Amino acid sequence: MRFAVGDAVRTSGRDPDHHYRVPRYLRGKRGRIEAVHAAFPLADARAAGDPSPPVETLYTVAFAGGEVWAEGAEPNTVYHAELWESYLVPADAAS
Amino acid sequence: MSDHEHDHMEHDHPHDHGSPAVVMTARVNALIGALESRGIVQDAEVTAVLERFLAAAGPSNGARIVARAWADPAYRGLLLDDANAAIAQLGLDMSHWAPVSLRVVENTQRAHNIVVCTLCSCYPIALLGPAPQWYKSEAYRSRVVREPRAVLHEFGITVPDDREVRVWDSTAELRYLVLPQRPPHSDDWDEARLMQAVTRDALIGVAL
Amino acid sequence: MSRLNDVGGLTGFGPIEREPDEPLFHSEWEARVFALNRLLMAKGLYNLDEFRDAVERIDPARYYGLSYYERWFEGVRTLLTERGLVPPETAA
Repeated sequence: MRFAVGDAVRTSGRDPDHHYRVPRYLRGKRGRIEAVHAAFPLADARAAGDPSPPVETLYTVAFAGGEVWAEGAEPNTVYHAELWESYLVPADAAS
Repeated sequence: MSDHEHDHMEHDHPHDHGSPAVVMTARVNALIGALESRGIVQDAEVTAVLERFLAAAGPSNGARIVARAWADPAYRGLLLDDANAAIAQLGLDMSHWAPVSLRVVENTQRAHNIVVCTLCSCYPIALLGPAPQWYKSEAYRSRVVREPRAVLHEFGITVPDDREVRVWDSTAELRYLVLPQRPPHSDDWDEARLMQAVTRDALIGVAL
Repeated sequence: MSRLNDVGGLTGFGPIEREPDEPLFHSEWEARVFALNRLLMAKGLYNLDEFRDAVERIDPARYYGLSYYERWFEGVRTLLTERGLVPPETAA
């Protein structure tokens, strides 16, 4: 697996027209790996009927409220989502 | 609804006019009939699946899990660390039509948890039974990730700013159960009484 | 492009309405759609992601006007029709 608990990651900003499990409100956002789970077949590929979908590690990523909502975020709120490995990249050190 | 609007609404439906329930009943029956005539399913199988599901799944399963966690600190630890193993000890599982995994998140003085599936309606259905309609609604799913504290307030929970709100969006193969805080003055309650203090809404995070 | 199911953060859906003593299903047909979907997936005719995809592909002009289980029915019917397992719905 590529990431460990505590790693800073950024979600992909891509906007595919197929079945995809990064919600719009979390795309391109910086977060932190909160948990590492087992590997599961990628939803995108399973939805397309792929008989051999890629099996990727699933991660829980935590996002600070102010990162998710640039304006008007409620205080002291953390968002979590489970995201497949190919949905994530290491966050830039500078960002 | 006027007759004209009713006609217009039924334009795309191939069956005779009727209430939505009448129309849908006819369409569902027609589909199952078509599947039966092709040997794909039997109506009796559909009934059996429904009955088995309803017999196994319901909020009392969640109440048992929570009451055990309140009564037994070791069980609570296991539940938070490996929920699937913990519920297996109670003879429960997340058997489903796809591999899903349970995670339990704990309410504490420091944090309050709330669960949603913004992308559809993922819910620990095999444990708790069908999700309430409001959980599946666009209104809840859209707002609870934008203003969770305001939504909690509408459900009767005021979370002070110095207490963290943790929102869990079930975007993949995990399903969540919130472990509510044990009621005050309940030290001498047995598990049966503790179970009565657990509500389905508390397991989602919209009640205490 | 994101599909209409991706609603996190969108506005305009109105108040969160709760029904006191809500039944598990509001009609028998809903329960049958639920069970039929579960049965078809257990038989391996399609998987849960294919089902979600089929629901997400409902014509946007109709999507929000359909109830939850009306969408489920459309998703199930779409998958079965696409696989040639049942003929398309025709006028009675």
